[in-house]
Amino acid sequence: MEHLTTEILARLVDEPPREEETRHLSECQVCTSELDALRAQTQALGSLPEVRPPLGDWEFLEARLRSEGLVRDPSLFHRLTMGRTPGWMRAAAAAALFLGGGMFGAAFTGDAVRDVPSGTSNGAARMAAVDNLDDAASAVRNAEADYMYALARYRELLGEESGQGEIGDPITNLAALEYLVAAGQAAVRQAPADPFLNGLLASTLAEREAVLRRISTRQDNWF
Amino acid sequence: MTENQLIRQAAEGDARAIRSLYDRFSPRVFAVVRRIAGDDELAQDYAQEAWIRAIRALPSFRGDARFSTWLHRIAVNSALQALRKSQTRKKREGPFPEQVAVAPREGDTLLQRRLEGALDRLPEGMRKVLILHDVEGYTHDEIGDALGVTAGTSKSQLFKARAKMRDMLAALDGQAQETGVEAWSI
Repeated sequence: MEHLTTEILARLVDEPPREEETRHLSECQVCTSELDALRAQTQALGSLPEVRPPLGDWEFLEARLRSEGLVRDPSLFHRLTMGRTPGWMRAAAAAALFLGGGMFGAAFTGDAVRDVPSGTSNGAARMAAVDNLDDAASAVRNAEADYMYALARYRELLGEESGQGEIGDPITNLAALEYLVAAGQAAVRQAPADPFLNGLLASTLAEREAVLRRISTRQDNWF
Repeated sequence: MTENQLIRQAAEGDARAIRSLYDRFSPRVFAVVRRIAGDDELAQDYAQEAWIRAIRALPSFRGDARFSTWLHRIAVNSALQALRKSQTRKKREGPFPEQVAVAPREGDTLLQRRLEGALDRLPEGMRKVLILHDVEGYTHDEIGDALGVTAGTSKSQLFKARAKMRDMLAALDGQAQETGVEAWSI
C-alpha cells in the first residue's frame, strides 16, 4: 500500500480529505498516526509561550529612544532610580553605578573620592544579620536609594562648584566611556546572560549617549 | 492608569509610560521577532527596531484596532523587512542535532525547546509562513499580503514546512531512542 506523503497529511491538518484520501486513511494505521502527530505538532506550535527579551534590553532601547529624541528627559532622580525597573535589573544597575561611579570618580575627580568614608565595616556588620533573600534584596534597594541620592547631590554640588554642571571634560569622559563600552561589549559577548555585566553595559551606553548629547550642544563644539 | 492613557502619554514621549507599555508587551513582541529571525542576536536588533517604529508611530495610533494587535503587526512587518534586507543570514539547513541549538529559557519544556530548535532550522521561507500561520494565527491572505506572495504559495509553503518540521522532530525522536535518552514524541 502506498502511503500518503507527509505534505498531503500536513494539508489534512486543516483541510478536509479528498475521497481517495478518506478511503486510504480508513485503512491505514500508519498514515492515521502520522496525521495525528502532525495535528499535535500544529497544536503545540499554537501554544508556544511568549518570550521575555534578554536582560538589559530595555536599557538599550531607552538609550536609543533618547538618542532619537523619542522620549522626554525625565528628572535626574528618575533617570538614576530607573522608575519601575524590575528588581533584578535595579540591583544590576545599582551594582553598575557603584562600580561606574567609583571608576568615574577615580578617573575624573582624583583625591576627592578617596576622602569619602566607605562605611564598609558598618555595612558588613548590618549584612551579617541578613539571612534571607527578601531582606538582602530590601537592603540592596535601600543602599541603592541612598547611593542614588548621594550621587545626584554630589553631581549637583560639583556642578555648582565648577560652574559647568559637568564632571570633568566631556571629551575626556567620552574617551573613557568608549573604552568602557568596548570592554563591556566584550564581556557581554562572553557572558550574555550575566545581569551585572548587562546592567553595567547598559548604564555605560546611556551615559555615553548623555555625554554625546552634551558635547553636541556645547557652544564651543568644533567638530 | 488605563491602556489608552498610557498610550497617549507614551505618544507624548513620557518615558515611564513607554516603559509600562514595554513591560506589558515586550514578551509578545520578542517572541514573534525571535521566531521570525531564528537567531537570538538578530532578534534583539529586530525587536529594538520594532519598538522604535512603534513609538515613532504612536501619535498616529487611532485605536481602530487593539493596541496589542497594532503593535504585533508592526513587529511582524519590521522583522520581515529586516530579514529581507539582511544579507548575512546563515543557511540553517542540515542535520538536526540531538542537542537543540536554542538556549533553554526558564520554564521551557522539552517540547517547546525542540519545537523552537526545529523552527530555527527550517529554511527561511517555510519558517516565516509556518510561524505566521500556525504560531501567530494569520490567514493565508494576510500572509500573502505580508510576504508579497499569493495565498496559494503561502499554503504550499505551509504544508512543506509542517512536513519538514515533522521529519526533523521524528528524526530527533529516533536519535533519542537509539541513545536511550527519554524523548518527547508527537
